[in-house]
Amino acid sequence: MEGLADLAQKYFSVSVIKEVFPFLLKGALYTIIFSASSELIGIIVGLFTAIIRVTKVKVLSQIATIYVDIFRGTPLLMQIIFVYYALPYVGINLPAPAAGIVALSINSGAYVSEIFRAGIESIDKGQIEAARSLGMSYAQAMRYVVIPQTMKRVLPPLTNEFVALIKDSSLLSVIAISELLRTSKEMMTWKLNPSSLTAAALLYLAITVPLTRLVSYLENKMKKGDV
Amino acid sequence: MIRIVDLYKKFGSINVLNGVSLEVRKGDVLVIIGPSGSGKSTLLRCINLLEEPTSGKILLDGEDITGKKIDKNKVRQRIGMVFQSFNLFPNMTVIGNVTLALQKVLKMKPAEAKKAGTDLLTRVGLKDKIDAYPNQLSGGQKQRVAIARALAMNPEAILFDEVTSALDPELVKEVLDVMKDLAKSGMTMLVVTHEMGFAKEVGSHVIFMDEGKIIEDGLAEEIFDNPRHPRTKAFLDAVLS
Ligand SMILES: Nc1ncnc2c1ncn2[C@@H]1O[C@H](COP(=O)(O)OP(=O)(O)O)[C@@H](O)[C@H]1O
Ligand SMILES: [Mg+2]
Repeated sequence: MEGLADLAQKYFSVSVIKEVFPFLLKGALYTIIFSASSELIGIIVGLFTAIIRVTKVKVLSQIATIYVDIFRGTPLLMQIIFVYYALPYVGINLPAPAAGIVALSINSGAYVSEIFRAGIESIDKGQIEAARSLGMSYAQAMRYVVIPQTMKRVLPPLTNEFVALIKDSSLLSVIAISELLRTSKEMMTWKLNPSSLTAAALLYLAITVPLTRLVSYLENKMKKGDV
Repeated sequence: MIRIVDLYKKFGSINVLNGVSLEVRKGDVLVIIGPSGSGKSTLLRCINLLEEPTSGKILLDGEDITGKKIDKNKVRQRIGMVFQSFNLFPNMTVIGNVTLALQKVLKMKPAEAKKAGTDLLTRVGLKDKIDAYPNQLSGGQKQRVAIARALAMNPEAILFDEVTSALDPELVKEVLDVMKDLAKSGMTMLVVTHEMGFAKEVGSHVIFMDEGKIIEDGLAEEIFDNPRHPRTKAFLDAVLS
């Protein structure tokens, strides 16, 4: 029983949580800003590289594949450290927030690229053929027929990827960005009490659970054949 | 209007078309029959430039469309195609399907395209469905939309690849009726089908293909009622029994 009381005092102290909450909210806001902007850039990068890969544009498509392999195949933490600490040696000096967004964006771009590639390839070949038989160019068929259909299909995996990115953005704490996890660790040191971690966990859940629910909803809708 | 000279198509080491030659004049309705795998779809797909022939020529009004310098998009505007599996764009309404290429390829204004599309849909008996989505239509309705979509580009010829094969029997007639109307209006058509009634009523001639070759050709009555070649006979016995 004493153990439980200790646990409650250390990790679920309401008074501590109340005190640190405003700071955590700010951290959560940073988390959202960093992950949302990186996701947005990642979507643009990913869509672009996916199209290059499925259309098999020479050289470019090999470069795109290498990009995807590298950034999916190495730890994000390492990528963040490289962008922030190694790039200055080649004259690219990014402030921490910019380095963070760059690292997260190119990392998520690699995953998004895979999602889009799979999405584009899942569209029945008859769609392109029908479009082309009407005299559309390959680019028009992609733009007006294939990509719009892909967008619907990739929405669930993209949202899942976004959820992963939100959690991964906690790695930005290593380059001193005060996102949610780092803020909660600072609060823990300040209050000498880890309840701030519990509060941060709840905030992460408040952000991610609606998104995962959205995924289930979308997937259900698609199963019913609305797409 | 379309003349095919000694067309060969290989997929890897498999010869799918083995020297096909034929001629279709303006207003002709050529019916193509033959067992599954005999190369009928490949032949139509070559004409629509969806496949590249290994050798041989396809002449459209005397011009070889298999040449390197040919603008494939222009050729495809002149030769429409309707597929067995409809291939309607599921994310667009019926009118959207019919007008997409009008707007994007022919750069028609939306209002103008909509009017042209509505006229075509009226022609195939689907005026009341213009705002429906493909998944709200029966197979027969879908295929009629696909025909209207092909007609929208005002092509000189249309290729039909087993367009009634995926349909429930009771829906076949509505599609064939549209095709018969088209044939009677003078459209040049190449039709892969086993619908004998259609072939007899509007077919100018029939070819029987097997193993990538034309085995027999002639008038519908001749081929269906008096096949000369034993393979044609065996095929017809199997299909029509
Ligand atoms: N893209 C392709 N790659 C390899 N083989 C193909 C391809 N398309 C068709 N074939 C083969 O070519 C042959 C003829 O096919 P097809 O033209 O579809 O015949 P049909 O329409 O008369 O049934 C079949 O054996 C088929 O497997
Ligand atoms: Mg076929």
